[in-house]
Amino acid sequence: MSLHFSGNRALILGGTCELALTLAKSMIESDLFPILTYRDDKGPRTIGEALRPFHGRYATCFLNFGDRNSLESIFSQIGDDLNFLVDFAQGNYESLIAGADEDSVYRYFTENISSRAEILKKVGRAMLKKRKGRLVFISSAAAVRPNPGQGFYAAAKLASEALYRNMGLELGERGVTTVILRPGYINAGRGRIYLQKQDRIILDAVPIKRAITGEEIAQTVLFLLSDGAAGINAVEITMDGGHTSGK
Amino acid sequence: MGGRMDVFAELKKIIEELMDIKDRNITPETLLIQDLGAESIDLLELAVTINSRFKIAVRDDEIFLTRFRLYSAEAKQQGEDTMHYIAGKYPFLAKDRIADIMAHIKEGPQLKIKDLISYVTYRSQWV
Repeated sequence: MSLHFSGNRALILGGTCELALTLAKSMIESDLFPILTYRDDKGPRTIGEALRPFHGRYATCFLNFGDRNSLESIFSQIGDDLNFLVDFAQGNYESLIAGADEDSVYRYFTENISSRAEILKKVGRAMLKKRKGRLVFISSAAAVRPNPGQGFYAAAKLASEALYRNMGLELGERGVTTVILRPGYINAGRGRIYLQKQDRIILDAVPIKRAITGEEIAQTVLFLLSDGAAGINAVEITMDGGHTSGK
Repeated sequence: MGGRMDVFAELKKIIEELMDIKDRNITPETLLIQDLGAESIDLLELAVTINSRFKIAVRDDEIFLTRFRLYSAEAKQQGEDTMHYIAGKYPFLAKDRIADIMAHIKEGPQLKIKDLISYVTYRSQWV
């Protein structure tokens, strides 16, 4: 089965993470044109090294979620020609709720919720002009089963999920749809580092007895971006090997 | 940028396209919500199209007078002259238009095509 896509320009937020780079390769191979965002000086090199064989078939763009000027300038660069958004961007703030630093909390929520809403407004309006678009938010199974210390992470993920869900409800009739993917344990990037610190026994609780791979995430996201998946709108899909389905 | 009639002609075309309306007698006095049945999604699309067609920045809550009643209430609460307060929030509206909206606001949303014309004309001055 070959996938069909309405358009080819895809903005990937958090474009330097391993999952984003794996997805970008799959996108390029499917004749899509990914535009990957980075937030520091190392970004372009990280992306360039990972996508070396694909020179000229992708673009990069600086985006600092905490900086509103950065949000403005990214869209004057990309313009309104955008068909897809895949959102891997996520900051981290680990703290017990009752032990959190107030300034850190304000900053964290501004960067991970308010800024995201601002980006969604711009992306939504650009896609409305074409009456067509597809947005995928990469959330986490941990958003609904967090550990102590992950309360702020969970709050940011769930709030962001609500924004994506509502975008799909509000703009669906105009051809702009959304979907949220909640991966479980992933053997890539931050997920791999986490798993390496845990006992192997942690994966026994997963019915498929292994973590999800970055390539599987890429293939799933590609499908979700394709025309055939447009009916999956304003909803979360969990991809965790069955971990949260049972007891 | 042409005069108000050119802006009206373009806006009429945009609204007819977006809302799939034909053969309606659209005039500057037409009420978008009450006469044409425009919903939130229609207004959103209209804002986005006005932005790209006329090349002006559009603030949705400004162009659609969304907070008119709220500003009225704020003015009373703060002991300010309502006309003066609202004119400060909507600099593109003439005072007699503001008075007209205030007189009829209880009948429902008063947004008319001529308010959009005023907004586009006003914002285009700064382009």
